[in-house]
Amino acid sequence: MRLRTGAPAGVADGAPRRTHRARNSALAVGALAAVLVAVLATRSVPPGSAAYTPLGGKPAPPISGTSLVGGRHVSLAALRGRYVLVDFFASWCVPCQEEVPQIERFLFEHRARHDVAALGVDIDENAADGRAFLEQYGVTWPSIEDPSGAASVSLAYSVVDPPESYLVAPDGTVVAKIVGGVTVSILDHLVAQARAVAGLSGARSR
Amino acid sequence: MNAALGHAGVLLALLAACAGIVTISAGLVTGRSAPLERARVYPYLVLGGLVVATVAMERALVTHDFSIAFVAHDNSRETPLLYSVTGMWSALQGSILLWALVLAGYVAFAAHRFRRRAADPVVAWALLVCLVVATFFLALMLGPSDPFAATPGAVPADGTGPNALLQDNLLIAFHPVFLYLGLVGFTVPFGFAIASLVTGRVGEGWLSETRRFTLFAWAFLTVGIVLGAWWSYQELGWGGFWGWDPVENAALLPWLTGTAYLHSAMVQERRGLLRVWNLSLLVATFSLTILGTFLTRSGITQSVHSFSSSGVGPALLGLFAAAVTAGVGLIGWRGDRLRSPGSIDSPVSREGAFLVNNLLFAAFAAVVLLGTVFPLVLQALDNQALSIGRPFFDAFTVPIGLALLFFMSVAPALPWRKAAPGVLRARLAVPAWIAALVLVGCVAGGVRGLTPLVAFTLGAFAASVAGRQLVLAARASRRHGTGAWRGVVGRANGGMVVHIGIVLIAVGLTAATSYAHSTELAFRPGQTLRFDGHVLTFEHWSRVVTPSEVAYTAVFRVDGGRFAPGIGSFNGSAEGTDIPAVDSSLVDDVYLSVGNAPSSPRPGQGVTVDVYVQPLVLWLWVGGAVTAAGAVLAAIPGRRRRPTDPSSVALPELADVRRVPAASTA
Repeated sequence: MRLRTGAPAGVADGAPRRTHRARNSALAVGALAAVLVAVLATRSVPPGSAAYTPLGGKPAPPISGTSLVGGRHVSLAALRGRYVLVDFFASWCVPCQEEVPQIERFLFEHRARHDVAALGVDIDENAADGRAFLEQYGVTWPSIEDPSGAASVSLAYSVVDPPESYLVAPDGTVVAKIVGGVTVSILDHLVAQARAVAGLSGARSR
Repeated sequence: MNAALGHAGVLLALLAACAGIVTISAGLVTGRSAPLERARVYPYLVLGGLVVATVAMERALVTHDFSIAFVAHDNSRETPLLYSVTGMWSALQGSILLWALVLAGYVAFAAHRFRRRAADPVVAWALLVCLVVATFFLALMLGPSDPFAATPGAVPADGTGPNALLQDNLLIAFHPVFLYLGLVGFTVPFGFAIASLVTGRVGEGWLSETRRFTLFAWAFLTVGIVLGAWWSYQELGWGGFWGWDPVENAALLPWLTGTAYLHSAMVQERRGLLRVWNLSLLVATFSLTILGTFLTRSGITQSVHSFSSSGVGPALLGLFAAAVTAGVGLIGWRGDRLRSPGSIDSPVSREGAFLVNNLLFAAFAAVVLLGTVFPLVLQALDNQALSIGRPFFDAFTVPIGLALLFFMSVAPALPWRKAAPGVLRARLAVPAWIAALVLVGCVAGGVRGLTPLVAFTLGAFAASVAGRQLVLAARASRRHGTGAWRGVVGRANGGMVVHIGIVLIAVGLTAATSYAHSTELAFRPGQTLRFDGHVLTFEHWSRVVTPSEVAYTAVFRVDGGRFAPGIGSFNGSAEGTDIPAVDSSLVDDVYLSVGNAPSSPRPGQGVTVDVYVQPLVLWLWVGGAVTAAGAVLAAIPGRRRRPTDPSSVALPELADVRRVPAASTA
C-alpha cells in the first residue's frame, strides 16, 4: 500500500516531547467500547426478564372482577394452589400480542399437572379495546378490566408499561416480576426456580 | 414486477458499491491515479440503483401491491395517498431503504464535489469508507431486511395498514426523513476523518472542507429531533414532548457530539489545535448514529419505537464494532504523531471556552449514553431489569445544560488566544444588564424556582450576546457598503442565529417542564369549567368518518376557539388512537386529550378530558425553526470567503493578526 505516510510538515519537528496520550486514551475508549459491544451482543432480544419488585416475597395484592369475555367472576384468590401468571396488557401493545402464544403454550404444557394458571389485567382505557384484543388473539384465560381510581390493580402492582407480568406462588406471594413479553422458557425457569427455593425453605423449616 | 424492479435496483447498487471498493482499493494499492479517477462513477451508479429501488417501493405502496410483504403489512387500500408514500419509512425494511438512499445521495454528492481531486488519496480513502458503509446497508436489504420480500402464501385482498399513530399527522412525512438526512450525513465526515488518519494528513484543511457536510447533517438532525418532539406532543396524548426514550436518546447522542465538533473544528481551523479530538468526535458521532440505530431497531431496549426483532440487530452491532475499532485503532496508532504542537495559551480565550463547551457536550453525551445502556449492562451483570427515567437524566443534564448556556453567552464575546483585561467587561456589560433586568422582571412577575430563574437569566444573557454580535456584524457590513442583511449571513453570524434558536428552545423547555399544570375534568354537554386561567366549554360529540378512519371527537371551546380532541380508529381496527387537540399561543398551550371516549357516544353524553396547561411550548418549535434558519445562513458563504487555510501550525504572529474585531470573527 503506497500511502503518503509520515507526519505532515511542521508537526514532527514541532513536538519535542513525545507522550502517548492519544494512544492511551484510544486504548481506554476501545476497551470500554469492547465491553459495551460484548454486553450488547450477549443480550437476547427482549423476551421479558425478571425484574426487581418491592412486592417480591410479599402477598400479592388482591385481584378480582368480571372477566371481559364471558362475564364470569374471577379472582386471584380463587387460583390459590397454583402458580399464577398475572399478565398486565393493553390492546395497543405489540409485545402483548406476541406473548399470547407463549402464554398459551405454557398453560398447555402444564395442563396435565394442573399447576399453573394465568390471569390477565387489561390496562386499556377502554374496555371495548381490551375485549376486542382478547377476541382477536384468541386468549383463552380470563382477563379483567383494570378498575379505575384507588381500586386500580395496576397501581397496586405499580405497572407502568405493558407488557409487565407477575408470577404469584401457590401460597399467594409474589415470586417475580417480568418486564417485557413473557416466553415459555422464562416462565418455566421462574417456576422451577421458585419450586427450588420453596423446597429449600420448606426443608429448612422442617 | 415492483419486487423485481426493486431487487434489481438494490442489486445494481450493491454491485456498483463493490466495484467502487475494488477499483479504489486497486488504485490505492498500486498507487496509480487512473483507477481512482475512474472509481468516481460508482457512487452515481449506487445512487441510481437506489433511486430505482425507491421508485419501485413507492409505486408498490401507491398502487397497493400486496404481493410485497412490506406493502401488505404497512399499507391498505384505504390508506390515503400521502400516508402510502410515507409508508416507506413506517417500518424497518423501508427505513433501511431510505437510509441507503440518503447515504447514496450524500456519497454521490461528495464524489461530485471532490471530482477534481479524485486521485488524491484522502478523497479516495473517504469514498472507500463511505462505499463500505453503503455496501453494508445494501447487503442488509438483500439479506435479513429485504423490503421487497414476497408475501408468503396467497396475495391478500387488503393490507393491514400502517400503525395508526403513523397515519394521523403530517409531521410523520418529514420527521423520519429529516432525522435520516441528519444521522446519515455524518458518514461523509467520518469517511474523511478515517482518510485523514490513514494518510496522516490531518492539518490540510480537509476537515474544514467537509465542515459544510457536517453543518448540513447537523441542521437536518436538529430539525428531525425537534419535529420528532413536536410529533410526539401532537400525537401521543400524554402532553409531553421528550421522555428520554432510548430512541430519542439515540438521535440526541450524535447531535451532542456533532455540536461539540462544530465548535471544536473552529479551533482547529483557527489555531490548528485539537486535531485528534476533532477526529475522535467525528468517529464518535458516526459510531453513535449506528449504535443508536442498533439500540432502537434491534428491539434490545424497551421503547415505544422498537420494531419486532429481526436479523438486523447483530449486523448493526457488528458495524458499530467495526467503526469503533477502525476509529480507535487508527487514533491509537496515529494520534500521538498527529497531535498539534501548540497548546491553548489562556483559559480566558475563545478556544478555552470552546474546550470547556466540548467537555460539557462530551459529559452530556456520556450521561445520556450511560442512562440508555446502563439498564442493559446491569441486566448483564445482575440479571435485573431496571428502568432509568427522567430523575436520573434531569439530575445530570439540567446542570450541564445550564453550564452550556453560560459558556454559550461568554464564548462569542471572547477573543482568540487571550482576552485582554477589560475586553470582556466591555463586551459583556450590556448583555449582563439585560440578563439582570430579565431576572428582576421574572422575580417581579412571580416566577419562582432556582432552575427556571437561572435558565431564564442565562438564556437572556446568551441571547443578548448573540444579538449584540449580529447587530455589530450588520453595522460592520453596512460600513463596508454590502448591506446590513449581510450581518446575519455567514458562519459566525449564522451561528449566532442558531444560538438564539437554542436559547428559545432552552427557555421553552424549562418553562414547559417547570410550570406545567394538568388535571382531569368531567364535562356535561354545554358545561363550562375553568382551569389555570382558561375557560373550557364542552359543546357536543361529533363523529368524523373518512375512508381510513372513524373518529369520535369532543368539540370544545377553549377561550373562544374551537378544539376537538377525540379518539380515532383506523382501517376498521378496534384499537382507538388518541387524537389530542392543542390550543397553542406564545404564552401557553392548552392541551386536551380524551383519555377514555365511549366507543359510540350518545349525543347527550358527557366527556372526561385530560387537560395540560404548559407555558411557552410554542417556543420550542419556533426555536427549532430559528435554529434551522441559522444553520442555513451559516452555510451561505459570508463576506470574506474562507480560504482552505493550511493551519497545520499555530503561528503566533498569524493568530495575532487574525484578531480582527469580534463582529467578523467566527
